[in-house]
Formats: sequence, C-alpha cells, structure tokens
Amino acid sequence: MNRVLRVLLIVAAIAMVAFLAFLYVPVQRTPAQMVLAADYAVPEGAGAYAMRIADCAACHTAEGGQPFAGGRAIISPVGTIYSSNITPDPETGVGRYTLSEFRAALYDGVRPDGSHLYPAMPYENYRKLTEQDIRALYSYFQNDVPPVKATQPLNDLAFPFNLSWGLRAWKWVALGEPGFTARSSDADLARGQYLVEGPGHCGACHSPRNALMAQAALTGADPAFLSGGQIAGWTAPPLRGAISAIQGWSAHDITLILATARNAHSAINGEMQLVVRDSSQYMTDGDLTAIAAYLGALNQRAPKPAAEGQTDTEKLLISADPSMDLGPRLYLDNCAACHFTNGRGADEVFPELDGSSLVTAESPTGLISMILQGGELPSTAVRPARLRMPGFAYRLSDDEVATLATFLRQAWSNNTDAVTVDEVSGLRQLDTAN
Amino acid sequence: MPQFPFHRTRRSFLAGTAAGAALSVLAFQARAQAAKEVPLAEYTPEYLSPAEYAFVMAATARLIPSEGDGPGALDARVPVFIDRQLAGDFGIAADLYMEGPFNPEADPNLGTQTALPPAEIYRQGIPAFDIWCADTQGGLFADLDTDAQDIALTALSNGEVGLSADLREFWSLLLQNTKEGYFCDPQYGGNAGMESWVYIGFPGARGNFDDWVGRQEVYPLGPVNIAGERA
Ligand code: HEC
Ligand code: HEC
Ligand code: HEC
Repeated sequence: MNRVLRVLLIVAAIAMVAFLAFLYVPVQRTPAQMVLAADYAVPEGAGAYAMRIADCAACHTAEGGQPFAGGRAIISPVGTIYSSNITPDPETGVGRYTLSEFRAALYDGVRPDGSHLYPAMPYENYRKLTEQDIRALYSYFQNDVPPVKATQPLNDLAFPFNLSWGLRAWKWVALGEPGFTARSSDADLARGQYLVEGPGHCGACHSPRNALMAQAALTGADPAFLSGGQIAGWTAPPLRGAISAIQGWSAHDITLILATARNAHSAINGEMQLVVRDSSQYMTDGDLTAIAAYLGALNQRAPKPAAEGQTDTEKLLISADPSMDLGPRLYLDNCAACHFTNGRGADEVFPELDGSSLVTAESPTGLISMILQGGELPSTAVRPARLRMPGFAYRLSDDEVATLATFLRQAWSNNTDAVTVDEVSGLRQLDTAN
Repeated sequence: MPQFPFHRTRRSFLAGTAAGAALSVLAFQARAQAAKEVPLAEYTPEYLSPAEYAFVMAATARLIPSEGDGPGALDARVPVFIDRQLAGDFGIAADLYMEGPFNPEADPNLGTQTALPPAEIYRQGIPAFDIWCADTQGGLFADLDTDAQDIALTALSNGEVGLSADLREFWSLLLQNTKEGYFCDPQYGGNAGMESWVYIGFPGARGNFDDWVGRQEVYPLGPVNIAGERA
C-alpha cells in the first residue's frame, strides 16, 4: 500500500512540475526559417503586396475606420474578439516591435510581452510565410503605414480561450511545423500552394475545424484541407472533391472570380467579398494563375457535361401554368427576371442558381440571407460595377422565403434538404436586430 | 349616350385585345385584397372634403362604370387613389414647373396653362362644375341620375361648362387620374386586388417574359404587384 501511495505522489509531483513549467517557462519564439543576406533590402512595393496577399486589412481595418488601427469585432464561436492596432504607433500599435517579435506574432501568435494571441489571427497559416514576406510586412507596418493612436475594447471570450495558458495548450496541439515546403517542383503549383496555404489563409475559412476549433488540416496533402468550412454562419464551400462546384470550373473561371467577385457561374458574397475586395483583386495575374493551377491540381477537373434539353423545372417555369406550386410561382414572380427560368442567369452579371454552392450548401443560412437582404458585389479594378441584387424581406413572408428556398434547393439539377420556416424567422430577427 | 366617348368603348377595346381573351378564365383568381380595406363609403379622405369626395365617387363611377364585364372605377377604388394623390406631392405640383408665364389662349399642345396645382384645380373645379350642373341639370353632379351625369361629363369634356381659364385642365386631369387610379400598382390605393390588371391580362411587375416572346398564345399566369402579392 505504502509503495503505491509513494508512486502516486511521485507521479503527482512530476505532473505538478510539468504544469508549472508549462505555465512559467518562457514561450519560445520561432526563428527565421531562412537566412537572408546581411544586406537584404525589401524590394520596392513588396511590403504593400505582401499585405495584400495576406489580407491584413480584412481584420485590422475596421469598416470605415483608419487603416490598420484595429478594433474590428470578430465574432467567433467562443466569444467576441477585437483586432489589434498594427499601425506603427509606439504606445497602442506595433511601433516598438522588433523584427523577431513581429515574426513571432505571425508565426507563433505571441506578443512581445509573451501573451498569446487568439487564433482569430490566422497564425496557423502565417506560420508558412517566407522570410522575405515577413521582412516585407515588417518594413510595411514600420515605415509605410501612418501611425494611429487607438486602443480596442477588451476581448470577451469563453474558457479556455480567456486564459493565457489555455491558449498556450491549444497551440501545442493546433500549430503545425513552421516554414513552407513545396510539394511540387512546378513553379506555378508551388507558388499557388504557398499563396493558398500560407498568406492567403484560404484554409482558415474553407477547411473544417476540429473539436478544438483548430483548422482540421493545414496542407493540401491532407484531404480535409479546403474540404469546406463555416464562417459567420455562411458556408465557405469545398474547393476540392466531388461536391465542390469549382471542379467544373476552368482556370479562367477561378482567376476571374478572385479578380472580380463574379464569373460565368457564380458571384461572391459573405466573408469572401472582403477577401476579393481587400486581397485577391490586387494579386498579379501570375499569382492568380498559380492559385488556379494549384486548385485545379487538387481537383480532378471534371467539366460539367452540357445539360441536354430543358430540365423539368425549366419546363414547369416556362409553362407559366397557374396551377403550379407556390415555390416555382414565387421564383417566377420574384427571381426569374434576372436568374431566368433555366436558373443559369447571365455570365458575370446574374449568377447561376443551378449548381450554385451557395444555394445547395448544407446550411441554408447564406441562401436565406441572400433572399432577405440581397447582395452587392464589390467594385474591382477589372469590373467596377457594384452589381446589386435587391433584398426581398419586405416582399416575402417567412413562409414564402422557406418555400422558395426549398424550391431552389431542389430545382434544376439541385438536390438538397428543405428549409424550415423557423430557420427563416431566426435569420430575419437577427437581421432586424442588427 | 352616343356622344359620350368613354362609355364602354374603351373597355371593349381593351377586352378585345389578345390578352383580354384570357380574362374570363382569370377573373375568378383575383384575390379580394380590397376586402381587407374599409368600404369606399366609409373611407375618410385625406384631402377631399365630403362634398368633393362625393363628386369624385360619382364622376369616376361614370367614367369607368361597374355595370360591365370588368371592374369599374369604384371596384378599383379609384377615388382613394385620387384623394391620396391630391394629398401628396402630386396635389401640390411638387414636381412640376410652376413659374409661368401662363397663357390660357395658348395651344393645348403647349401644356398646362394654370398657376393652380392639381389639388386646387379639383377644389375650385368641382364647385364651378356643380354650378353648371345645378343650372342646366337641376342638381349637384353627385345628386343627378346617371343619364344627366353623362350629359354633364360630356359637356365638361367638350369645354362647354363655362369654367374659368385657370380651370381649363379640370376635365383632362379628372380623366387622367381616373385611368391612373384604375391601372396603378395597388400600393397607391387604386387597382384594388389587381382586378383591372387581371381584367386586361396585364401580368404585373414580373419583369421577364423572355420565354414567351413570339408565342401566339395567351400568357396564363395572373399578375403580381410590387409588394409581391398574387392575383
Ligand atoms: C482573420 C483576421 C486577421 C487577419 C487576416 C490578420 N490578423 Fe492580426 N490579429 C487579429 C486579431 C483578432 C488579433 C488580436 C488577437 C488577440 O487579441 O488575441 C490580431 C493581432 C495581431 C498582432 C498583435 C498585435 C498586438 O500587440 O496586440 C499583430 C502584430 C498582427 N495581428 C499582425 C497581423 C499582420 C501583419 C497581418 C497580415 C499578415 C494580420 N495580422 C492579419 C486578426 C487578424
Ligand atoms: C474569411 C473567410 C474566407 C477566406 C479567408 C477565403 N474564403 Fe473563399 N469563400 C468564403 C465564403 C464564405 C465563400 C462563399 C461565398 C458565397 O457563397 O458567395 C467563399 C467562396 C469561394 C469561392 C467560390 C466557390 C464556389 O463554390 O462558388 C472560391 C473559388 C474561393 N472562395 C476561393 C478562395 C481562395 C483561393 C482563398 C484564399 C486566397 C479563399 N477563398 C479565402 C470564405 C473565405
Ligand atoms: C434585379 C435582378 C435580380 C433579381 C430579381 C434577383 N436577383 Fe439574385 N442576384 C442578382 C445579382 C446581380 C446577383 C449578384 C450579386 C451578389 O451576388 O451579391 C445575384 C445573386 C444571387 C445569389 C448568389 C449566387 C452566388 O453565386 O453566390 C442568389 C442565391 C440569388 N441571387 C438568389 C435570388 C433569388 C432567390 C431571387 C428571387 C427571390 C433573386 N435572386 C432575385 C440579381 C437578381
């Protein structure tokens, strides 16, 4: 008996020491993953470009706020988090950051004082940034951005994310190896992989999250990577696999939607609009082509066979038969003007609803929101028109929206679950509350 | 009443078009939105006085009578439309150039020649016309029998009732507003239940009939209004 007790005590003591070490041993900061020449100088314009491809503005510039002064509320499943001021202001911004402290913020999610950043800051992905891009970003945020004095509200998070050691433990589990390894010797594919896995942090939205709320995969070698996720209630559709809409798209379709938020099939709404508005529209043609090549390689590209003749849905809609059900009737009365009876709209103007990943997403949130509130495409250099779809909240009851959405999810070649009235009422209340 | 040009003939014309052929099929589908609203007789006008409202009811009832094969002006609640228009921007000519010069002798093709905004034309035109009715037909317009009313309206339309130059537009305004109230989107108070759209086979604010262009058939689906209601 005594012996057992003694062993238990020893085990407990070791666990205690380990836990204290975990709490008090200083956090490690990942060093540069590549040695650059001592006289390395950031090329002209590289700072601003790195900021664009990594989309720092999306989170660090509040809507209508000063550039990079932070304060944007990010609503996450574990609470509300406010982005930091990353202008070079020494007191409230990053003016006092050294290069290695700046790198540690991006690689390890650690502040100079050793406190841990909440992973709303996508360091899981930024961990793959090249040293050149780190230098470019550092130079940009020290020299090119005007300093702004601004503090942000305190974060309001649930356990364990409200505790520094909780975040530390989380990182032990969630973070992958630092640095980037190309899986292809093809320059385009390697560059595309880098942009997607690293700075573009596409996986932060397009990959599912595991039980710990970490990205389920951080590299394309893992089939979970880009297999679809959720963001702000919307579905970030799968960008690979049999159910991904983009596997039927050409490389041009992909570059076009990243550059202009619209293409022959789809239009970009939800959080992805910010990606296009602040980031991908600024990518060079070479980088867009690289992303398209990489996404193409993740998919066995299978262009959709051209539809033969009219679908039953189209025939019904064209018949204008007064005895048709309410769903198709609502579509004719409200939507067919722009999206047409074949559900294929018009290239780069009215997106397709047949085969649309927004319409057929498992969660109908995006579709219901589009019907209630409508949408507006961002103006981009190549396509400046802010194409608008009107909202129908004033015109359709919850019942009608549910009936219409259900119709759309089962119209043409679509085949997804029905939408309930409760789902619509919930979203309408949320909209009116906001 | 052979000299009265607007009786029946215009509706026969509309009903005679290809679209009109579908009417008898469609008429029963009209949803009676009007039922939700107060009866015309109990409507409290925003602009018109009780006497003016009585005139508008009586006059529009003769311009588009209910005793035909489609809805009349009263079924479509045209008086409500007119009252609400006169109470709003239209009544005060908010969108019209009103600086003059006004020349009552000018060719009618040169446009309105009065300093009076539409609401004021009704306000002054109705009593002036009623005086003519009393003198020649023996009563206020609203109190005359329908034959006498038709004679009076015919005289009004021919400019034979001695209105002052300022009121020269009274007749054309009344007629135009009656048509507008009959065919407007129901949000403006007229075209109750979209019945006049159903009657002429107008499919409403649906926006795209691409698939039907060139088809020599009657479009079968009833109308939808701007609020998205179906009839
Ligand atoms: C998806 C949103 C998001 C993106 C994109 C993002 N950040 Fe952040 N960042 C945050 C949030 C949220 C915080 C605050 C985290 C916290 O309070 O724990 C933060 C914190 C930081 C901090 C720590 C500042 C401090 O002392 O509090 C730095 C430095 C930083 N980000 C730099 C960047 C840079 C550089 C980029 C672009 C390469 C970037 N961030 C992109 C969300 C983001
Ligand atoms: C902040 C979250 C977020 C990030 C980061 C993000 N996306 Fe998206 N993405 C979305 C959402 C949400 C949609 C769905 C938009 C819609 O339904 O209109 C989407 C849609 C798309 C689509 C259209 C897919 C379809 O089926 O219609 C493509 C292509 C795409 N994203 C590519 C990318 C690439 C490439 C990146 C990285 C450079 C990226 N996204 C980064 C959230 C994100
Ligand atoms: C006046 C033209 C118009 C009408 C009417 C219209 N839309 Fe749209 N719709 C658009 C435009 C333009 C877009 C692209 C703008 C955007 O996505 O924000 C769009 C986008 C959409 C999208 C997003 C597609 C994607 O690829 O992300 C959906 C879903 C949609 N509409 C459904 C509907 C439904 C359902 C109705 C009827 C209730 C409707 N639309 C009526 C013009 C219209």
